[in-house]
Amino acid sequence: MMKAQGSSRLSRRRFLTASASLGIGTIAAPYVARADDPTLRITGWGGKWGEIMKAEIGPAFESEFKCKLQIDSAFPYLPKLQASSRSAPIYDVLHTNSNEQWAAAEMGLVEPKIDPRLVPNLADVYPYAVSDKIVGVSIFTSAIGLGLRTDKGYGSITSWKELWDAKYNGVRGGYVIPVNSLGQAFLMMCGTLFGKGQTDLDAAYTALEKLKPIKIVDFTGAMEKMLLSGEVGLCVIHDSGIYRYDGQNQPTDFVSPSEGVLSLEQVLTITPGSKMKELANAYVNYMLRPEVQKRLAETVWYSPANKKVKLDAKYDAKLLTTPEKVSKLIQVDWKWYNERKDEIDQRVNRIFRA
Amino acid sequence: MSSAAAQRPNGLALFILPSALLFALFFFLPIGLMALMSVLTGNPVVAPKVAFTTRHYARMVDDPFYLEVIWTTIRIGLVTTLVALAIGYPLAHWMARIKSRTGHALLLMAVLAPMLTGIVVRTFAWMTLLSDKGVVNQTLMSLGVIGQPLKLMYTETGIVVGLVHIYVPFMVLTLTGVIGRIDERLEQAAENLGASPLRAFLEVTLPLSLPGILAGSLLVFALAISAYVTPILLGGFQIMTLPILIYQQISANFNVGFAAALGIVLLMISLGLVVAYNRALGLVSGQRELQ
Repeated sequence: MMKAQGSSRLSRRRFLTASASLGIGTIAAPYVARADDPTLRITGWGGKWGEIMKAEIGPAFESEFKCKLQIDSAFPYLPKLQASSRSAPIYDVLHTNSNEQWAAAEMGLVEPKIDPRLVPNLADVYPYAVSDKIVGVSIFTSAIGLGLRTDKGYGSITSWKELWDAKYNGVRGGYVIPVNSLGQAFLMMCGTLFGKGQTDLDAAYTALEKLKPIKIVDFTGAMEKMLLSGEVGLCVIHDSGIYRYDGQNQPTDFVSPSEGVLSLEQVLTITPGSKMKELANAYVNYMLRPEVQKRLAETVWYSPANKKVKLDAKYDAKLLTTPEKVSKLIQVDWKWYNERKDEIDQRVNRIFRA
Repeated sequence: MSSAAAQRPNGLALFILPSALLFALFFFLPIGLMALMSVLTGNPVVAPKVAFTTRHYARMVDDPFYLEVIWTTIRIGLVTTLVALAIGYPLAHWMARIKSRTGHALLLMAVLAPMLTGIVVRTFAWMTLLSDKGVVNQTLMSLGVIGQPLKLMYTETGIVVGLVHIYVPFMVLTLTGVIGRIDERLEQAAENLGASPLRAFLEVTLPLSLPGILAGSLLVFALAISAYVTPILLGGFQIMTLPILIYQQISANFNVGFAAALGIVLLMISLGLVVAYNRALGLVSGQRELQ
């Protein structure tokens, strides 16, 4: 009787055990419930891009395709992919700029092309997004041109060559060419502006030498801050880096030089060793959907690659949304550039050394 | 009995096992792998055909740019160490000799306080002071002292200023312990025998504090040559040092072999310094070799 009475009573030990089990169960429940969901591992940017991917675009994809999206936004991605096994790569889909995608393709880390049969939305993209200058597919692009402080009385700017004007000495901004896509694209532009074309490196080096004094940074985010603070008055920058401050009354503007704007592509590729090929293709197709493209374009001010996207008037006026506007884009031959990257890096490191 | 006791494993030795494992796994193994990668043509884990090569080291020797980068790194380390010593020694001496407990506590807090803030934050603070639109230039320009901003950032001087601020506490804390153990009566005896306070310091205190000077300098130099954040932010990418070059090789050139070779060179510089330190300490303390 005593035993029966004892077993029915809630002892302290039982209470603690039950509480601990309940607590562990509550914490683990979501993970246990999703343990069977396939996981697609991708890369992606931070900032506004990361915020909207985490809040809207990512969860919507997870819900539709019954999977989990694991996004790595800790740059640099390629060395991590390079260090992982080819048969079990760290990422299924690599999202980065075109220059790195070419390097990844050369190393056999990503598949050079996306199969249009598996990604139907590929049929609706502008030709530049799948041109021979692109590995994989470009889902968005930005225009690389000049960023200007409008409160310094510099006057109107129409040409890239005005960056060399002595009046910008001390307030001129550029990039660490070995590590920055904009800097590398700009180097090629220098060859076009002052030499026989993109591949005229000697002309480009001479032009870069004449750009000094120049303030250089590694990321566009740093350049945006330098321009906003007035530390820099005229700089190389992509349109998104200026337009994202729209409505904040910042004294900055983006200039599309008459010689054309350089293309800064956001490229997706699939890794050959991915065990989630079907899901990876579905993700690429999803990112090219008009509604996804519109939402992302109007959040981060990237020009959508899908021709069918209709942006609101404010965005449509500034972004590259028509064949005529897109035709102004100058794409860089990254394969050619990467083959000479070491030589170029050594030279530009010398040029910009203090 | 004594031989049996000597053969019996010491139970306390087991306490060393976790730290020994930790060192083996996270110190010796990575360095060993780095040394291996520096003499291979690729990553043997992912690449099928990998051979031994000396090309990464040959590249460094063939191109004077890399030798200049190594020298720049050493130069910044040396200047930072000397300035940190010049600032840190008087402060450490004061801390070691101050009679007031409150005074000592306040000084210690003053030395330690900057260490409570991250290196990135401290470097950004220097950027707000030294940049063209920074406090120093704007103040001087508003007072009419200068017409154009002084070039305080994007120079080796700017980097040294930032590094000294970060590493002075390491010098001070190392020196304080050593100076504090020097018997003050030795200085008093020298003064009683007719030496001026300066001569007593130069001939008694300074030689006795040499082990602290060497240890502090070694620590600051090793930290300064391996610094990444401060040189990159205050140097504005225009001053190339070995850590910046290593990061560039990994993140943008994807050349792990060359980055590993550069890392080994950086390690060799530090190791060379440790050997020199041990020899110097041996000479100072009158021993040929340190046991």
